[in-house]
Amino acid sequence: MKNLYLPELVTIEDITNEAPDVVTFRLVFKDEALKESFEFKTGQFGLYSALGLGESTFCIASPDTRKGYIECTFRKSGRVTGALAAMSVGDTMGFRGPYGNAFPIEDWKGKNLVFIAGGIGLPPVRSVIWSCLDKREDFGDITIVYGSRAVADLVYKEELAHWEERDDINLVQTVDPGGETPEWKGKVGFVPTIVKETAPKADNTIAVICGPPIMIKFTLSALEELGFSDEAVYTTLENKMKCGVGKCGRCNVGDIYVCKEGPVYTAAEVKLMYNDF
Amino acid sequence: MAKKILKRSDLTKLVASVGKAGGAFVAPKAVANGLVEYVFIKKADEIEFDYIVPGKSFKEANFPQTEVVARFKNDPEGVTVEGVELNPPRVVIFGARPCDAKSSESLNSVFTWDFIDEFYTKREDAMVTITVACTTGDNACFCTSVGIKPDDTDGSDLLLRETEGGDFTVEAVTDKGKAFIKEEKAVFTEGKATPKERTIFEPRKLDVDLEKIGEYLKDTDHYEGDLWADMARKCIGCGSCTYACPTCHCFDITDEGGFSETERRKNWDSCQFDFFTLHASGHNPRDRQYKRWRNRFMCKFNIYPGKFKTKGCVGCGRCVRVCPVRLDITEVMEEISGA
Amino acid sequence: MEKQLQDKARELLESGKADVIIGYGWNRDKSHTTPVFIKKAEDVGKLVFNKLCVNNLSVYLTRKYPDVYAMGKRAIVAKGCDIKNIVVMMSEGQLKRDEVHIIGVTCDGVIFDQDAWAKAEDGSADMGAELKDAVTATKCHNCDVRNPHLTDTLIGDKSNFTPPDEPVGFVFDKIKDIEKMDSRDKWQFWMGHFSRCIKCYACRQVCSLCYCERCISDKNMPQWIETSAHLRGNLAWNLIRAQHLTGRCTFCGECERACPANIPLNVINQKMSLVMGEAFDYKSGYDPKEHPPMIVFNPDEDKDDFIK
Repeated sequence: MKNLYLPELVTIEDITNEAPDVVTFRLVFKDEALKESFEFKTGQFGLYSALGLGESTFCIASPDTRKGYIECTFRKSGRVTGALAAMSVGDTMGFRGPYGNAFPIEDWKGKNLVFIAGGIGLPPVRSVIWSCLDKREDFGDITIVYGSRAVADLVYKEELAHWEERDDINLVQTVDPGGETPEWKGKVGFVPTIVKETAPKADNTIAVICGPPIMIKFTLSALEELGFSDEAVYTTLENKMKCGVGKCGRCNVGDIYVCKEGPVYTAAEVKLMYNDF
Repeated sequence: MAKKILKRSDLTKLVASVGKAGGAFVAPKAVANGLVEYVFIKKADEIEFDYIVPGKSFKEANFPQTEVVARFKNDPEGVTVEGVELNPPRVVIFGARPCDAKSSESLNSVFTWDFIDEFYTKREDAMVTITVACTTGDNACFCTSVGIKPDDTDGSDLLLRETEGGDFTVEAVTDKGKAFIKEEKAVFTEGKATPKERTIFEPRKLDVDLEKIGEYLKDTDHYEGDLWADMARKCIGCGSCTYACPTCHCFDITDEGGFSETERRKNWDSCQFDFFTLHASGHNPRDRQYKRWRNRFMCKFNIYPGKFKTKGCVGCGRCVRVCPVRLDITEVMEEISGA
Repeated sequence: MEKQLQDKARELLESGKADVIIGYGWNRDKSHTTPVFIKKAEDVGKLVFNKLCVNNLSVYLTRKYPDVYAMGKRAIVAKGCDIKNIVVMMSEGQLKRDEVHIIGVTCDGVIFDQDAWAKAEDGSADMGAELKDAVTATKCHNCDVRNPHLTDTLIGDKSNFTPPDEPVGFVFDKIKDIEKMDSRDKWQFWMGHFSRCIKCYACRQVCSLCYCERCISDKNMPQWIETSAHLRGNLAWNLIRAQHLTGRCTFCGECERACPANIPLNVINQKMSLVMGEAFDYKSGYDPKEHPPMIVFNPDEDKDDFIK
């Protein structure tokens, strides 16, 4: 019988400590056949199990251009994430997925890209960034604006350093006022303000944003001011989920089931939704 | 041609025969002071005939309050997961009401859109629904206002009507029902004439317009406004309405057990609970009780009919009866219909 | 009496002494009463008081209702038994005396079994003395606060009812029955009832003394109570709730009334109250300055030393 709620076993192949209480796992399916056949699209999510303690929902933070493994980045905050964070390389956990829709990256060929993320909102954007960087020649200018509360809270520090070095990416890093350190070379200010300052050209450009609800709200209006159309702005909604397959009834925003019809939406779609966030 | 008859006295034989064939028999039974519920019964004399609708619908038969979906073992040799393999026996639901029978279609529509939840469908496939048309009801009943009749056949495999003498006339609705009659032909007898049937209950007709409610809810601006807070301020946020409701489908997935052996369960959950939508970050999209109540109303009159093309509300009246503060969904329906 | 109540409500609203009156109103077909929140003086006609006003409205004074709190200064229509809960809330620091205007109503008892009552009303059942006893809540048969004990305004005629010396009624009969059982039968009795629990938490939600923002049943680090509605989880939940109410419960009966599974929660909670009465000579809900025994600990008075 096909059991929707049965997780697959995965092994933790690598662990990176990103920031205080934030870790990235690289996961590989135990089942050899599945390891070969597993496919997903950038933007999709999964349910990760600390077997015996429960499941949590995170996006797949690695790009679909890289096969053989998946990555997830999460903040230790509850029973499941606490148990996962205590695990070591070689340990076994569970995975169900991939679920949900994806970013229509194919449709963006020839366009400029702006990625905007705040705090722990970078993981879903990071998978899009790498998906695009792995096909760099398909796209025009790439701008990344990433901010967090404090320098320590920036995730993917190694990758940020790498993007900083590349001359085919314009990376703008910022921390909230008061979150800077003496060594900090980036900007100081809230993400929406920095987006306005950076002022990427709206013409022929796609924007992808993810972060806390308040950041998304103000960034959307900043982008609107800069002339971005709502159809050119993408975001990914993160609601609480248990089943991931449109049954358990908690991720809905009005009549929209985020787990099945989302999590990726354009700003135009978000604006049509019920105020149920 | 005269209708087939099921004699009340033959129920003993029917229960025994279903059991003998390996099936289970679910029927209304008085389980506590003033409370009738659908439960598994072994003998026909456990069946309660004097009820309007049991406390909870029979959705439990297909969607149990709690069920194990997988088991995990963690021992020195490694971790193993094992999914539960479901092979449900035939389950005969006796004494269903037309409102409940209709609700199976609604639950099915959720559990089968795109992904198919076989924990639900396998049980439903093995179920025979024998409905008894309503000859009794109360002020909370409002099925006719949502397009269901108290002797509707929809959703039932067999529809029984009580006769003046206390027996039942039998109408086969589906092929499954016809096959069941054939299998149990000893109890479904044919008389010369159809005995007189008891009068069907006529529930009160509400002044509601489902289409208008649907249209009202389509306008996202109507999600704001004082209506919801005013109507639902008294809601205490218990899950009674959702657990009694035949079409409420929300559930939780939770792991429990010891260190080495644990199980994953699918448990009823309720959109009325504040933790239901609480994010790990502390943000809660439905941070007020009226928003949670609004969501349930939305689910019944927009999401079900709009998205799943089935009925969100079958008018059984359970949510009205069980509500400790008498928050009456029909009042809100009428309010919006008149808006 | 209703006139008096409505006049008082109007006066409170018009003078600004209250911004909202939490009271009872009729439901659509006047078969039940339902909580109403009256904000405008012109709406005071909606306020009613009668035998069907069974709800304990004090739950709306808890911090579970930020929206009610935000409505401004609260006045509440309360029977003596409801006021007991307000007293416990005050003694536990949940409510200050000046935060609520208590409109106490004298009461002759409320109808617990409203369906049976309805049948008597519409003539399909005989409302003899026997039925009247049966449909009236056990607490009412033994009530010593028919004339409310802590009020800002008192409405209604003085009651001359004197409660019996020995408590009477279904709940106490049942307690006596259970006391006679052996442990095995007691266990079976309760497991039989708890097996029906559906974990809807109506008992908790309707209770004004279950005011925790995070109930132990919602905690999962560690998970004290399994959330599944199986015997293990149901037993844990019902027993832990009974313990958390020990010495605090005022026997308002709301949990049992709200329970869709008809679990006799009054029996377990009242048994605990009897035990508290015997052990500490304490009854909850009378004096806002007195703390329930199970929530106070004084090292100086502790006879044992295991906790020191």
